[in-house]
Amino acid sequence: MLQAAPKLEFSVRRWGAARLLLTLAGAFVLWAVVAALCLCVGSTGEIGWPADPGVRAIRLEVVLLSSMVGASLAAAGVVYQAILRNPLADPYLLGVSSGASLLAYVWRFPFVAAIAGSLFAVVSQQVCAFVGAMAAISLVLLLSTRRGRLEPVTLVLVGVIVNALNGSLFLLLNARFPEVTAAAGGAVAFLVGGIQTTTLLPRQEYAAALIAGVGWIVLLYLSGQLNVATLGEAEAEALGTRIQRLRWAALIVASIITAAAVSVSGPIGFVGLICPHVARMIVGSDQRRLLPWSTGIGAALLAAADAATRILAGRPAVNTLLPVGVLTALLGAPFFLQLLWQRGARIES
Amino acid sequence: MRTKQLAVRPLTPTLSPEYEGEGDKTDLRSDRGDAPRLRRVRVPAMNAVNPRPLIMDALLHAENLDFSYGDHPVLRGVTLHLAPGEIVALLGPNGSGKSTLLRCLFGNLAATGAILWEGKPLPAWRRRDLAKRVAYLAQSPAWEPEQRVADVLRMGRAPYLQAFGIESPKDIEVIGQVAAALAITDLLDRPLHTLSGGQRQVVFLGRCLAQEPRALLLDEPNTFLDLRHQVDLGRRLKDLASRQGIAVLMASHDLNLAGMFADRLLLLENGKIVADGPPTEVLRPELLSRVYGLPMERVEPADGKVYVFPKIDAEGERETGPET
Repeated sequence: MLQAAPKLEFSVRRWGAARLLLTLAGAFVLWAVVAALCLCVGSTGEIGWPADPGVRAIRLEVVLLSSMVGASLAAAGVVYQAILRNPLADPYLLGVSSGASLLAYVWRFPFVAAIAGSLFAVVSQQVCAFVGAMAAISLVLLLSTRRGRLEPVTLVLVGVIVNALNGSLFLLLNARFPEVTAAAGGAVAFLVGGIQTTTLLPRQEYAAALIAGVGWIVLLYLSGQLNVATLGEAEAEALGTRIQRLRWAALIVASIITAAAVSVSGPIGFVGLICPHVARMIVGSDQRRLLPWSTGIGAALLAAADAATRILAGRPAVNTLLPVGVLTALLGAPFFLQLLWQRGARIES
Repeated sequence: MRTKQLAVRPLTPTLSPEYEGEGDKTDLRSDRGDAPRLRRVRVPAMNAVNPRPLIMDALLHAENLDFSYGDHPVLRGVTLHLAPGEIVALLGPNGSGKSTLLRCLFGNLAATGAILWEGKPLPAWRRRDLAKRVAYLAQSPAWEPEQRVADVLRMGRAPYLQAFGIESPKDIEVIGQVAAALAITDLLDRPLHTLSGGQRQVVFLGRCLAQEPRALLLDEPNTFLDLRHQVDLGRRLKDLASRQGIAVLMASHDLNLAGMFADRLLLLENGKIVADGPPTEVLRPELLSRVYGLPMERVEPADGKVYVFPKIDAEGERETGPET
């Protein structure tokens, strides 16, 4: 396909179907290699390919689930950063995680659980988290819109406000009813974020994966337009993009896949912020390449971080299975700082 | 009907004849889509306000445009037209409505009144199709430091991209042509932050040209340019207009540069067009003094051009206008 093109004296390679597929394959291979290595790491500290099919199945579930969550967050991070025109944006900026946490917490109140249980047999903590996430993002979009128009700066400000509101509501409830959080496997476990397959039903995992998968394909479809979204509104429209429609569509889809991820794992920090930047350093700022690579890196990173918690669990100093959210935050915070400094240095120069 | 359309067709100036067919195909989707790309438009109303030919090779007709931010009117009854290959400069003080007018013309801001591109009303255009005819350069274009020149140029192909952002060989070909035409082929791999302000502005112009437009709407393209780059840009626009028939409408603060390169000047005052004509007609000291609120002086060297300067009586700093 590429050979058919005439020899060009300049170095612009066409983004054709072949290159798209090659990029997807490359990102997939990157993830597959890391995931295969992660399969060899057990929570008892043993390293090696699991011979026992039962153990293999458990590890496979953990690796696939952490990959799915990492991929969703990293993909949503790319879209948030492009649409909000803000390199420091992450998929939780517009309230998805705080909304999910609040409702996942509220679900634990006995009377709420009773009502929810009597209304729909299927309502679980995961469903509550998903609904909470969608409610929060809906509220943010509703409060930000002016005659159907979304402005990045307003979105970010409203997102910060709604996040703060959700956080304070959580703390208020927590102060009033401390016994709810104290319960084993309670809301705090959800808040930290971790890959805990034991609390999940297979159908919940499949549902989350399906939502994330379909959403991701929609984002890939939009990826060509995402480049233009990083420009000013007038410029984007002059380039033929219906920028308002794009903002709505991309933010909603990115938020849905974030909500799917958060509902199974709790809010895992920094993956959605860091992975787009790592990918950008490697493949540049073209969103069409960035999205697949960031997704692959996110899947690999979270699978690896989760495997690292399993290795650490075998060490006497730790001696417990840390939630993966703790690890990503520990690694992510310095990265975030470095990013700020780098940016600051560039602005000053 | 079709033969009639074909008869007027040859008027169309094209940057890329091979694109024509494709454009018509996409056009068929809209009900009025098979309108000719360019046709003679009769605008009887023009006669009353403007003693210009009734029938013209219209690229753009804008009539009686009104626009306000809230209850603050910015444009009042603006009427203008643009023919292929014509360079028109939009003059006026800050806040006179130049940028607003440009943004109304491609539908970024919604003005009341009629705007017709190639005879077709603005609301009937699909945004993507309009972007293949009309390019816009913002006053301060948004850019990311790490972005490469080639990536900026390929953004100009956004209206031509297929699903998943797939590019056609034609897209790359056009990027190559634009880069060659602007002599920035060497810069294609460079990140934007390594470029000078002047080079960057050329790259942004390149993004506009990659759209293969019939018209360029430029909002103060000279803002970041030194004197030489300003003149270079003027020459480049002149060249595009005369060789490819691209129409240029540009907002400018530099009266003399505009007078040098534009065929026609439009002077805006508080959202109204107070003068529309060749530079010699519009660059009148008494008119400019009123609009800009500054005493002005006109100089006419032998070359047939006119130059205007503010009369400044600063103590000893400057003479009252150059005497050449």
